[in-house]
Amino acid sequence: MSASDDQADVDRVLAGDISAFEGIVRRWQAPLINLAYRFCHDRGRSEEMAQEAFLRAYRALAQWRKDAVFSTWLFALATNLFRSELRRIPARIVSVSLDDIAEPADARASDGGLEDHDRDLAVRRAVWALPPKYREALTLFYFHDMDVASAARSLGLPEGTVKARLFRGREILRGKLPQRLAVPRLKEA
Amino acid sequence: MTRLLGRLTGKRLLGIDEIDGILARQDQILPSSGFAVSVMDAVRREAAAPPPIPFPWKRALPGLVVGGLVLALVLVAGVVALGQLGKTAVPQFSMASPSALQPPVHGGMESAAIWTTMALLATLVSVKLSMRLASSRG
Repeated sequence: MSASDDQADVDRVLAGDISAFEGIVRRWQAPLINLAYRFCHDRGRSEEMAQEAFLRAYRALAQWRKDAVFSTWLFALATNLFRSELRRIPARIVSVSLDDIAEPADARASDGGLEDHDRDLAVRRAVWALPPKYREALTLFYFHDMDVASAARSLGLPEGTVKARLFRGREILRGKLPQRLAVPRLKEA
Repeated sequence: MTRLLGRLTGKRLLGIDEIDGILARQDQILPSSGFAVSVMDAVRREAAAPPPIPFPWKRALPGLVVGGLVLALVLVAGVVALGQLGKTAVPQFSMASPSALQPPVHGGMESAAIWTTMALLATLVSVKLSMRLASSRG
């Protein structure tokens, strides 16, 4: 994905060639749908949210100041939309309480810890149950391959604030998870 | 506390690195085949839609000014009327002389008639103005 391709397509769209927007859609459809999916965990809804994000981007294309790369602007716009969409209609899974997560489903949990798959699922569900400001920081952080600066730009927050939210969010996770997700300790030699 | 619990149960606690590892490893979903086409259809519909009609400020300005003046006048007159009512209110509660009620009631009827007339006039002007605006646009 090249920034110059985005720049060229945006220039063409602004000059009246609407079909050039298709290049932008094709380049960014997968990242935007995946970002939306991390917010709502619903495939159908994530496509609807991504489509709305593209429409908003099209309407606001002239407002993109070229001091940041196009993708940064697009992700910030999409993140803003996804956050407000989730405030308007919360994802069903968000109603999970932190106290309800990851209760061992079978006997293995009480003596040998959960299987990896169950453990991963439990950790993800724990993230969904976090207060929104921590959940959003964690969602964007992992979406951007653990890059705090990118997460901060998408959220429109200072890096320090995002770092603090990441720290606090992970502390809450650790505080809630250990009793349930303890991994069997290896015997020390 | 959680470390102590870990020692007692013989289990290692989930570390930040492990949480990072789990959360960084998310399944990627692929867009459905018609997604880009559907977005472009929506974009074309958006582009084909007529631009929103701008509010006719030039035409509406005289009406807004007149409306503002009338509103200010009504407020001032209302405040003055309330002040006068306050001055004449004390005798109204005298049970000994019911005739004391007469002048304020008469005054109230007169002012109500004036306000009703003014309200009707304001309604007539605003209806005429909006009809004129609408007919000149069509």
